[in-house]
Amino acid sequence: MLAKQFRAFKSTLDERGIIFSFSGYLSEGILYSLGDALRQKMALEDTDVTTIKKVFSVFVEQSQNIIRYSAEKVQGKLEKAVELSSGMVTIGSENGQFFIVCGNTILEEDMAKLKNRLETLRAMAPDEIKAYYKEQLREPPDEGSRGATIGLIEIARRASAPIEFDFDRIDSERHFFCLKVSI
Amino acid sequence: MDNLLIAATERSPEVTFDSAAGTLRIKGESYPEDASQVFGPIFNVLQDYLGQADGKGLKVDFELIYFNSSSAKALMNMFQMLENAADVDIEVNWQFMADDETMKEFGEDFSEDLEHVTFNLVPVS
Repeated sequence: MLAKQFRAFKSTLDERGIIFSFSGYLSEGILYSLGDALRQKMALEDTDVTTIKKVFSVFVEQSQNIIRYSAEKVQGKLEKAVELSSGMVTIGSENGQFFIVCGNTILEEDMAKLKNRLETLRAMAPDEIKAYYKEQLREPPDEGSRGATIGLIEIARRASAPIEFDFDRIDSERHFFCLKVSI
Repeated sequence: MDNLLIAATERSPEVTFDSAAGTLRIKGESYPEDASQVFGPIFNVLQDYLGQADGKGLKVDFELIYFNSSSAKALMNMFQMLENAADVDIEVNWQFMADDETMKEFGEDFSEDLEHVTFNLVPVS
């Protein structure tokens, strides 16, 4: 029963072309290890350097967004201060393209701003995204965004198709947020 | 004047600054949680050096493979600092793997506003 259950779980992931999927508490150390494995896997499959760079970059920005902005966190002090953020990162391939999906909980009060930023980026042509990136690189950061604006533009800039995103309401205060990028 | 010798870590680059020779080299990858931890010490030594260069020049070698968006922002600030030091002769070599479009494009982006700084795109294979 045990093996059957988990084989079915793994088959579902395999059928969707998922290379790996992480769900749980994400740290910078996990980001490094997953990213390293991801680059090795793509290099072994003779993926070209520019594609590896793009996939890796989107993976890093998405993971760091979860680490910074997930509304589901545990904090405490072990040998030093520790903060872990909960979320999901999934990488796979479909129709000859790589895709990266991240998911995490966000607060109701942060949703409108995030949605607005993503809608703006989704509506832009590649040239416009590039120009917007260059403009934002020269701007001082928004209050309290810890670099979110430029991170999302970087993600949109590396994407081969318009970004996809969605929000699923959990309760009156929280949403589950998902962002999918194809490269 | 202070020199810098910071070893690379998994997510931060190797940094070498030699004030007597007037050289700075940043080599490797940069995607730390907090970009100011990597770039803060570099900004401090550069500010001191550029403020009292006394006719000496500065050569900066970038050998970066990958950096995240907050490091890109810090790099842009660094280029603005270099461009503002109008009385110091500054040369930047932006090295990138010849088949790496992303790093080439970043070099082009950074060099766009520079008038006073000499910026060389250096493809390597």
